[in-house]
Amino acid sequence: MKHYNEADLLETYYTQPGDSMPVMMHLASCSECAARYERLEKKLREAAVCNTEKPATFWTRQRLQIMRRVDAQNAFAKSAARTLRVAAAAILSFFLGGAVVYETVKPAQRQPVPVVHVAPVTTAAPAPVLASDIHDAWQSDELKDFHNVVEWESWVPDNKTKVNRGSSL
Amino acid sequence: MAVQRVVGTVATFRVNPITETAPSDQELIARTLGGDGSAFAILVERFQRKIYRVAYAIVRDDTEADTITQDTFIQAYTHLARFQGRSELETWLTRIAINRSRDWLRRRKFVSLFSRDDDSEDREYVIEPVDDRPDAERQLMSHQLRAAILRAERTLSSQQKIIFRLRHYENHSLEEIAELLGLRSGTVRAHLFRAIHKVRKELAEWVTMREVSDETL
Repeated sequence: MKHYNEADLLETYYTQPGDSMPVMMHLASCSECAARYERLEKKLREAAVCNTEKPATFWTRQRLQIMRRVDAQNAFAKSAARTLRVAAAAILSFFLGGAVVYETVKPAQRQPVPVVHVAPVTTAAPAPVLASDIHDAWQSDELKDFHNVVEWESWVPDNKTKVNRGSSL
Repeated sequence: MAVQRVVGTVATFRVNPITETAPSDQELIARTLGGDGSAFAILVERFQRKIYRVAYAIVRDDTEADTITQDTFIQAYTHLARFQGRSELETWLTRIAINRSRDWLRRRKFVSLFSRDDDSEDREYVIEPVDDRPDAERQLMSHQLRAAILRAERTLSSQQKIIFRLRHYENHSLEEIAELLGLRSGTVRAHLFRAIHKVRKELAEWVTMREVSDETL
């Protein structure tokens, strides 16, 4: 005959009899295991004892605290509702007032803006460049005063002259 | 001449016996919703012990159980209009208390990740012998078993812990637990089995050690 140890019986204790029928049937026939189960049951029952027995003052205090919080919640709900109503009334009156003021000092209807017909800007074709318009910068009035200074270089050939002119300036 | 003797009529008054029956939960709810604060106070008085016991069974802490009890009633008061009476008020309140206790367990688990002070469950509990016999050894065993169970419970998930504690401390049936948690009975059974296996593994050493000494008791 197979006997059950405490570990097996632990499961039997927590589950329902139907869940561990073989164990329960064995316990019915085996006095040794039944006694072991009884001991385990007793120990677990002892271990599960919760001391929730409190003096009456504890429950009274707890009840008072709950009712105080309930009252506070009611007061808050009332004040919140009142605040909400006041805010809604303020917003409504603001918009209504705004509408009245707008109607009172309504700006005069604007005259239609006369349409100005602007002539389309025609872009003139660029004037042909005449040969007389092309002038040598060296011949400009600003540089005329320096002609004497650089005249001695005039014997230098043209291409070189241009370079020298540039460098001397 | 027949004399009709009028003996008289006895006036009968139907007297309704004054019954001192306590108002029903539904009646008190209706009165509370009508603004009668004293009706809610009666409801609190009626269920506060039960709610406290359930909260304490789960959180295993006096102060927290007290806070959870208060919060449960405040939440119930706030949402009382939504209570449709499909279940008993007691069941509804117990459900709220369990949910709040579960939140507390999760919060504490989260906090314990960042602190090393997670030995709150290692506190020594007062040993209450079930009978009057001064039996030091039995008390010690009970104390050891209690400590071992608390250690074992640490390995359980929140859901397993709640189910195990409701079974262990409150002695609720699996069907009752299923109803309170809004789960199917099979799910509760599966959770409980897993919890018991973990507890059993944790208690294995204690069990083998005790087996020897038990035989002598």
